[in-house]
Amino acid sequence: MKPPVVIIIAIVVLTALPAFAQNPKAAPPAAAPKAPAAAKTWTGPKTPWGDPDIQGTWTSDDCIGTPLNRPAQFGDRLYYTEQELADREANLARQADNDKQEFVASDARVGTGPPGHWGERARRPCRQTSLIVDPPNGRTPDVLPEARTRRVPEGAGNDNPMPASWEDFSYYIRCITRGVTGSIFPVIYGNGQQIVQGPGFVTILQEMVHEARVIPLKGGAHTSSNIRSYMGDARGHWEGNTLVVETTNFLGNRTGLGGNGGGMPTSDALKLTERFTRVSPNELKYEVTIDDPKTYVSPFKVGFPLTQEPGYQNFEYACHEGNNAMFNSLSGARAQEKTAQEKK
Amino acid sequence: MRKTLAILTIAIGLLLAAVPVWAHHAFSAEFDASKPVKFRATVVKMEWINPHAWIQLDVKGDDGKVTRWAVEAAAPNALLRRGWNKTSLLPGTEILVEGFQAKDGSNKANGSIITFTDGKKLFVGSSGDGEGPPKQ
Repeated sequence: MKPPVVIIIAIVVLTALPAFAQNPKAAPPAAAPKAPAAAKTWTGPKTPWGDPDIQGTWTSDDCIGTPLNRPAQFGDRLYYTEQELADREANLARQADNDKQEFVASDARVGTGPPGHWGERARRPCRQTSLIVDPPNGRTPDVLPEARTRRVPEGAGNDNPMPASWEDFSYYIRCITRGVTGSIFPVIYGNGQQIVQGPGFVTILQEMVHEARVIPLKGGAHTSSNIRSYMGDARGHWEGNTLVVETTNFLGNRTGLGGNGGGMPTSDALKLTERFTRVSPNELKYEVTIDDPKTYVSPFKVGFPLTQEPGYQNFEYACHEGNNAMFNSLSGARAQEKTAQEKK
Repeated sequence: MRKTLAILTIAIGLLLAAVPVWAHHAFSAEFDASKPVKFRATVVKMEWINPHAWIQLDVKGDDGKVTRWAVEAAAPNALLRRGWNKTSLLPGTEILVEGFQAKDGSNKANGSIITFTDGKKLFVGSSGDGEGPPKQ
């Protein structure tokens, strides 16, 4: 019996690449939106040894979908207007209603695109028009000419359509690392950051790829510049209620500032200065100044809220054990080569 | 087997452009959009593993011979937070699976829709009408 033949035509366009265009035309300023009202004076909890207590599992889910670079139409405007926020809130409510449908419609068709509900959803609309909060245009500063040749990380060619080896996959796909910024910037799921404190140390366990950043609070100089790693050498200290973490000693040319550490890789001169401030029981203000003098003409700052949600927890991310995608992608490429050879 | 495994022909003008976001699930690298599959099967085991869950299935052919298939589902975190639990696909459950076969021709597929014997349908992975992942 011959298999039944059904012709299905489906055109799906998914454009999910991070935008890295430079110097867009600035749009005229829209009705002046107000920055979120400053949090009223709130005294946060302290640990038994007297440090500000920022422990818990936090997520950047609220800013899922917020672009790193600000779309040109917003110009220098960092925050949405109240009307724009209301529209976005209504959209989230519609998504939430749709997501409650456990079963799909009887006429649902098969397709190759992943559905939106595979990922996490923002609970509230992100107030920001971009993750970049400084410079005022919300755009990545100009890239230095020498950095433009650094498009492909060493030993990890991203997205090779015909991978010959495991080395042709990014560090993310290989379950190795997403880098510091790639581990905390919001992506479609796995945005949990579990913070655990002890006297003299803060540890951040990241949900996806499951890296634990152990940050000593003793201050002092970084380790020798000869000692380098994917996640760098972190040193933390408290400035009032703010945890300040300075990280250097990165291996250059491994991960970038795009989703999951993708995009143009940063250099070994990268210095990150992160600031974590608990501004309410359920919100941490997160900011990171990115200073990479071998890549960008000037430092710039990314910021967004990290929030706590009832029931949110870091599920185990035992990535290596279940990474069938690696085997399937390599065997798929070999099958394609074999087919092409047979056609010759 | 040939009756239960109906291979549909598809004309699709796409290659997923979302690889950097769905990097662990690079559909176009692993699966063949021109090889849709649809077959009845019995659940053997649901594997709750990252980056994506897998469902082990037994497919019985016309000759009575049983073939093992593995069908990829969403990330376990996404399934759990969506309400799936350990009883959602119990061993022994009879289901109809629709998806796309692995490029290497092995008995693996990217799951799209599961239909239970009472007619209810459940998204396992892909949706032709899905809005896709949020943009970065």
